[in-house]
Amino acid sequence: MSGGKYMADGKNQSLFREKPIKVLLAKPGIDGHDRGVLVLAKAFRDAGMEVLYVGLLPTPEDVVDTAINEDVDVIALSLLNGAHLTVFRKVMDIMKNKGIDDISVVGGGTIPDEDKPELEALGISGNYGPGTPLSTIIEHVRMRAEEARIKKLR
Amino acid sequence: MPENDTFWKNKLMELEKRNSKPEGDKTAKWRKTTLQKWNSATGYEEKEYSNSSSIPIKDIYTDDILPENMDELLGLPGEYPFTRGVYPNMYRGKLWTMRMFSGFGSPEDTNRRLKYLISHGETGLSVAFDMPTLYAYDADNVRSQGEIGKCGVNVTSLKDMEVIFDGINLSEVTTSMTINAPAAILTAMYFAIAQKEGHDLRNIGGTVQADILKEYIAQKEWIYPPEGHIRIIRDMMSYCTKNAPKWNYISISGYHIREAGSSAVQELAFTLADGFYYVDMGIKEGLDVNEFAPRLSFFFNSSINFFEEIAKMRAARRIWATVLKEKFHATSQKAMTLRFHTQTSGYSLTWQQPLNNIIRTTIEAMAAILGGTQSLHTNSYDEAWALPSEEAVKVALRTQQILAEETGIIDTIDPLGGSYYIEYLTSKMEEEAYRYFEKIESLGGILEAVKKGYIQREIAATSYRRQKRLEDEKEIMVGVNKYVDPDEKPINILRIGKDAEEIQLKRIKEVKVGRDQDKVNDALAKLDEAFRNPDENVMPYIIEAVKTYATIEEISDVGRKIYGGWKEPVIV
Amino acid sequence: MTNIGDLVEGVVRSDRRSIARAISYMEDGHTEIKKEIMEKLYSHCGKAHVVGITGPPGIGKSTLIGNISVLLAQKGMNVSVLAVDASSPYSGGSLLGNRIRMQENLFNYGIYMRSLANRGARGGLSVSCMGAVNVLDASGSEIILIETVGAGQADLDIMNLADTTILVLGPGLGDQIQAIKAGIMEIADLFVINKMDIDGSYFAMKDIEEVISMDDPRGFRRRVTGTSATDHAGYDELVNTILDHGRYISGEGIIGRKRFLMGARWILESEIGRIIIDPAMDIIKKKGTDKNPYVLAENIISQLNAGVLKEL
Ligand code: B12
Ligand SMILES: Nc1nc2c(ncn2[C@@H]2O[C@H](COP(=O)(O)OP(=O)(O)O)[C@@H](O)[C@H]2O)c(=O)[nH]1
Ligand SMILES: [Mg+2]
Repeated sequence: MSGGKYMADGKNQSLFREKPIKVLLAKPGIDGHDRGVLVLAKAFRDAGMEVLYVGLLPTPEDVVDTAINEDVDVIALSLLNGAHLTVFRKVMDIMKNKGIDDISVVGGGTIPDEDKPELEALGISGNYGPGTPLSTIIEHVRMRAEEARIKKLR
Repeated sequence: MPENDTFWKNKLMELEKRNSKPEGDKTAKWRKTTLQKWNSATGYEEKEYSNSSSIPIKDIYTDDILPENMDELLGLPGEYPFTRGVYPNMYRGKLWTMRMFSGFGSPEDTNRRLKYLISHGETGLSVAFDMPTLYAYDADNVRSQGEIGKCGVNVTSLKDMEVIFDGINLSEVTTSMTINAPAAILTAMYFAIAQKEGHDLRNIGGTVQADILKEYIAQKEWIYPPEGHIRIIRDMMSYCTKNAPKWNYISISGYHIREAGSSAVQELAFTLADGFYYVDMGIKEGLDVNEFAPRLSFFFNSSINFFEEIAKMRAARRIWATVLKEKFHATSQKAMTLRFHTQTSGYSLTWQQPLNNIIRTTIEAMAAILGGTQSLHTNSYDEAWALPSEEAVKVALRTQQILAEETGIIDTIDPLGGSYYIEYLTSKMEEEAYRYFEKIESLGGILEAVKKGYIQREIAATSYRRQKRLEDEKEIMVGVNKYVDPDEKPINILRIGKDAEEIQLKRIKEVKVGRDQDKVNDALAKLDEAFRNPDENVMPYIIEAVKTYATIEEISDVGRKIYGGWKEPVIV
Repeated sequence: MTNIGDLVEGVVRSDRRSIARAISYMEDGHTEIKKEIMEKLYSHCGKAHVVGITGPPGIGKSTLIGNISVLLAQKGMNVSVLAVDASSPYSGGSLLGNRIRMQENLFNYGIYMRSLANRGARGGLSVSCMGAVNVLDASGSEIILIETVGAGQADLDIMNLADTTILVLGPGLGDQIQAIKAGIMEIADLFVINKMDIDGSYFAMKDIEEVISMDDPRGFRRRVTGTSATDHAGYDELVNTILDHGRYISGEGIIGRKRFLMGARWILESEIGRIIIDPAMDIIKKKGTDKNPYVLAENIISQLNAGVLKEL
């Protein structure tokens, strides 16, 4: 007997439908600007998501470990300190080394336009900056969560 | 807080009474006749107005609201309770200090920027440090990768400070350093350079922020649990009072509280509550309040609601004077005066249509001047993008110069004094602040309230409310949720490359090779001993340690071993 | 990772990602898939001592778990933690805030920790928890600490799963006992008075001691331990008491007993509906409203009573 049975009668597709999106909000790197993430945490909750925010100064390793243990759909990385290219990359490298491809990663903060292509290429989408409406961000997280869910069902 | 625990309650009752005067007949009549007629003729629908502090704003204020003892509440400039200003002749006698917060990249970059600003008329220095320095990690710690010089200048050892201040005469300028958890170390470095150059510490003027309470509340730069940092502040306080009387060893800051999302009233209340804590601490330390309180200075935010900001600053002066006198029994006027630096609000500035930020900053700077500030930083129009470019910072400095030299804003003192609206708001914000003081007292004082996360949650709630109001377009930011420009063009910004990191890695390597390691170890061991003896003052030991070129992280590690780290309470 | 066989094998190998994913299925999966996983895991279960920790919000449960999990790990035990947070009744979302209190300790000792949201009235929390416990048990956990929200029926249900139930209280006891679900005092095996550094905690301890010394229907003498995170005090004693209770129930042969019964009951309750109630209702539906529905149902029951249940 294998999982195939559930695929066959379509139940598997609905497996996670009921489940609220689970997001890990994190600020890896040395950055104490938490106003934005505290706002996002509440906004995500109010959009029906289950939100983990584990406080300041986690290392990239901590972030990936937490995401794995909690089996989140999306990691939302926020940095306002200008170190995103180095630090976000560290997170992605660890994910890659561990072979994790069914968790989506989105980013945001003080990110100059010209850095966005590099982040996108690493697999980090969004990269929204100051003044972005919460609705845009929530929409984007939902979309990326959906992608992660589909990969989880493979 | 000691003795009379009914102090706050009584004050609050007094203010509530003072501020609840009903509207007089004259105004009531005007409402019923002139106003109503006009409103119905024009089809105007009543709407509620309020400010960031959720204080309802009426359509008109008249002399009805002025309290009986208005004269007493205002005083005259330079006189108790200092509502109208701390100096008798205010800007006629001395313009505010134009102090532009600056620092980026390597110590060399920053040295150049400081000299550039001095050459353009800046009258005081203000240094910004990068993230590794703010959290006391050395340049060669893995955590510092990609962070060096990005948010300010990197300082790992005394060597870096020597480069930053190279060619600047420390007896002639005063320097403000935005540094908190490692403030004692940076102070020690500054003193070490001054001594090396033959200056007397008694003539060295400047400020370190060192306000650790607001770190736990807002800026989140801590190394140890509160106890560890408070011990160090205590030691700096008594060391400086005795040896460096012109050094402001603490700058009690509301700026960060506000930027973290608080309202103006919350900024006012939480900042002053922090201030009272430090006063209490000095008194408990056996220092004379008349001697040390004059060294306590403040740092406020000036945001975009013009009148609210002015009222906040005036209320702050009145509260401080009253409480110092009545609760802490200060007798010297100097101990009762609240002097402050102001920074315009970074949060109010937008990524979108950045040139609009120049207008916002101008308005905020005007509020700070009308509020009676002693020094001012104006933000650059590229605030939301990156550390300021040379071009942008120059416009920001020129903004202050235009206000000072062209507008006549400085000609008379407290020009808004006596305005019904301003006086009402001042008094109302004072009342709301006392409401918080009382609440904080009931939670066991400010430190307990912070450890419990109460203050942080209050701020986060206000911040979220604001964000939702923007989302619902109940509040407007031009270019963000109204008058959006579809063809935004990127602006030229300052980018900090890899070279700062390379320079710093190279320098720390050289420092570590060049220094006498035995001396370093010895100094750190002595510091460790001093830390373990609560009756010892650690300041002289930190000064000795920096002189051996022990690094910021090595020195902080001594405390890390003793006090451990800190995990903040749950805020959301 | 939809191949359940592989997933179960991963769990047994103690692979973190498999454990995490298996718990997700327990939380959100279709009943069929939960059953399949639980059945497959069962042969690997039975070693873990499950400790439920309840008490009013803010009393210090998360902090306590963060601290005692380390002591347990230092004794060489394989520890894991499940913590339940409340969901917002408005949006259904949740801020999973328990983790932040424990995080650092968990990382230092490689302890597996998982946050679950209680998902309000949607129910099923105790089943998800049971599933999660089975996953952790099968993965080699020797002791599993479960933190509950501290209010509501679901909490009591979870406690029905624990081998050892600990009620954490503190100074200002009266209000707290009001706040928590009635019945919890009775089912608690151990009591903790936390925040011993605060005035009034001593009296709280005396009060509880008095209450529990009066009754003692069970074989194990119920105890109260005072703890304080501020002074890092009382944890050794608490850990020893927990392990004592663990040894006691092992000795009585009832470790895992509650979970065993709960598992069976869950299957019965979900299946009996399908196997018995649905066809019975089909029979009843054929009758008109002139018939008495109560009598019809009683008739069905007497048919079932005619000796269907046999010893297994
Ligand atoms: C508020 C603020 C502070 C407050 C922070 C309070 C707090 N607890 O958060 C205070 C005053 C303490 C502060 C201090 C400093 N700051 Co500051 N600060 C700002 C400021 C003005 C606004 C940031 C903010 O909170 N905005 C409001 C929130 C709601 O928006 P947000 O965080 O941008 O988030 C939105 C989007 O960006 C996006 N988003 C954010 N994260 C994520 C993540 C994901 C996944 C997604 C999808 C979206 C997303 O969604 C949010 C909603 O729209 C910015 C400039 C600016 N206007 O943006 C500078 C700024 C970020 N600060 C800066 C600096 C340098 C500092 C200091 C280092 C200064 C110093 N040397 O001492 C310190 C360091 C503090 C620390 N410990 O880290 C620089 C950073 C420079 C850079 N990156 O190149 C900036 C850009 C200002 C400047 N031009 O100099 N700061
Ligand atoms: N004074 C004191 N505070 C404590 C103690 N244990 C926890 N706390 C504080 O109580 C608050 C709530 O703790 P938490 O563990 O999140 O409680 P929970 O909601 O029961 O999980 C936090 O601010 C803790 O720091 C203690 O023993 N003494
Ligand atoms: Mg908890």
